[in-house]
Amino acid sequence: MKVFFGISRIFWVCLMITTAGIPRAWAQDPVPEMESVPDPPVLVQAQMCEAIEKFMPVNSAVVFSISLGRVYCFTAFDPVYEESVVYHRWYRQDRLVSNARLVLNPPKWASFSSMQLRPADKGPWRVEIVDSRESLIKTLRFSISD
Amino acid sequence: MTQFFAIGWQNILDIVLNTYILFRLYVLFRGTNVLRVLLAMGVLLVFRQVAFSMGLIITSWVMQGVIAVAALVIIVVFRNEISSVLKTRDLKSFLWGIPRQQLKTPVGIIVESVYELARKKVGALMVLPLSKGMESIVQEGVSWQGKLSKEMLISIFWPDNPVHDGAAVIQGDRITDVGVILPLSKRTDLPSRFGTRHRAAIGLAEQTDALIIVVSEERGTITLVRNRQIYDINDSSVLEKLLIQHAGGNITTGDIKKRTRDLAIAAAVCLVCVTGLWFSVSKGVETIATYDVPIEFVKSDQNMEVLSSSASSVRLLVSGSRPLIRALSPNRINVKLNIANTIPGKNSLSVGQSAVSLPPGISVKSIEPSMVDVLVDVPLKKEVPVQVFWVGRLSPELIMTRVKVSPEKIVVVGPSQVLEDIDTLFTKPVSLDGISESGKITAGIAFTPSSIRPEDQKKSEIQLEYTVQKREKYRLLKQ
Repeated sequence: MKVFFGISRIFWVCLMITTAGIPRAWAQDPVPEMESVPDPPVLVQAQMCEAIEKFMPVNSAVVFSISLGRVYCFTAFDPVYEESVVYHRWYRQDRLVSNARLVLNPPKWASFSSMQLRPADKGPWRVEIVDSRESLIKTLRFSISD
Repeated sequence: MTQFFAIGWQNILDIVLNTYILFRLYVLFRGTNVLRVLLAMGVLLVFRQVAFSMGLIITSWVMQGVIAVAALVIIVVFRNEISSVLKTRDLKSFLWGIPRQQLKTPVGIIVESVYELARKKVGALMVLPLSKGMESIVQEGVSWQGKLSKEMLISIFWPDNPVHDGAAVIQGDRITDVGVILPLSKRTDLPSRFGTRHRAAIGLAEQTDALIIVVSEERGTITLVRNRQIYDINDSSVLEKLLIQHAGGNITTGDIKKRTRDLAIAAAVCLVCVTGLWFSVSKGVETIATYDVPIEFVKSDQNMEVLSSSASSVRLLVSGSRPLIRALSPNRINVKLNIANTIPGKNSLSVGQSAVSLPPGISVKSIEPSMVDVLVDVPLKKEVPVQVFWVGRLSPELIMTRVKVSPEKIVVVGPSQVLEDIDTLFTKPVSLDGISESGKITAGIAFTPSSIRPEDQKKSEIQLEYTVQKREKYRLLKQ
């Protein structure tokens, strides 16, 4: 009889331990943590211009004379939450000519890219401002004329 | 040999139809002089072809002229026979029936009348035409168109009647003409007792299949003439039997067989003639010709479009008989390529003989090129922004600060592969020259390549509003 109770007690102890372990095992399942995705930088200014002076665009326009020799794409971001990258993609009549990588630093940042103009570059152009996730932020359209 | 017997159903139908037309012409005009002249024309036609093929140009010309004149002669000279053939028959008998005449002839009246006339020794001449026309043989008398009766017949031949000397023509149950003058026979072996009436009866029987009854004025005897045979009638039953036989009644099985055999032979001759003509036309001297034929692309999927093709036409070398090749016009040749089984992109299609459609009797010898590369695609829609294509030179004192395009985007339809590469639509060149202040312009859109088009055809141009202002930092603009 003692032997029976002894075996019975061991059984109950084992059962309790086992039962108590189930929630723990569930609790041990890995819970996916939400990846912290930084907000993209916010574009506040994007202009095609004839020059950059004191980090500011000069003579913003949509038509530029080839005689200028160079044309600029100015962009300003505020806020910039963390160091990030944007691209200035220059297209001449739907053909990618240049892809400028610009690094932005918090808390706000302005940056520009430029294109050296040649006589054959006359015609319609566009610059696509794209973030690091390949999202198109803005398209600037302009023309190079005589 | 295999090609010789490779006759399509169209050709068989062609032969059968023309055989039937020829057979009907024979049935309608048999026994008439028209048919004889037509046969003569056919022979002349054969001679002309033979002469032409032998290089006898003048002879063939002369034959051709004779044939043309003969055709005119038929119409002018035999107009009465033609009109009698065409007029006297309804559409059914014209297209289908085998004409027989004299079926309704009241034989009893004729027999009684003839015996009455003979008894009274009144001279009479009665003509019962059968199938052969006799309008061109006899001289027309007086049109009578009276219903046949014993009294009528006797009164016509009564000596005091002005028309008693001529013949009376009996068709069916009507006396159609009286006082008709028949051609006299020139036979010299006729008995001396035969007078002018007998000679006239034999003269007509020599040229037609008509039955002629003669009543002698002197002796009161009755004579029947048919098919160069002269019957002296002594018994009314014999006359009645001959008349019934002539009228188509009491036809013996042998007669039916003979008639059927004659028609079958005629039909067979028609078939042989038409088949021979068909083969001479379609399988004659083989001629080769070259044609440049544009390719038509057939699509079962309406969305599929052929963007480009390595060849827009193929050069076909075709062969056939000279008349068929001569008559062949390029628009009767079609080359169709099916793009149903193609996939978007580049496809190589074989231009086989099955792709070429030609009139019967003409075959394809070669096709060049035998393969065609086609670029096939499915048209899609895409909304594309529009950008102004400025040209010229803006005044150095001015700066264009803003351009607003309306509408900003246009939905275009085009092949997917083409649309994939199009991100912007550009306007046709808009000049900057002469711009001195802000303004508005309408500009057309250049839809290039041509395989794209606006979904809404009305949206093929845009309104653009531009803003210019005086340049502040003029020094930056290098002159």
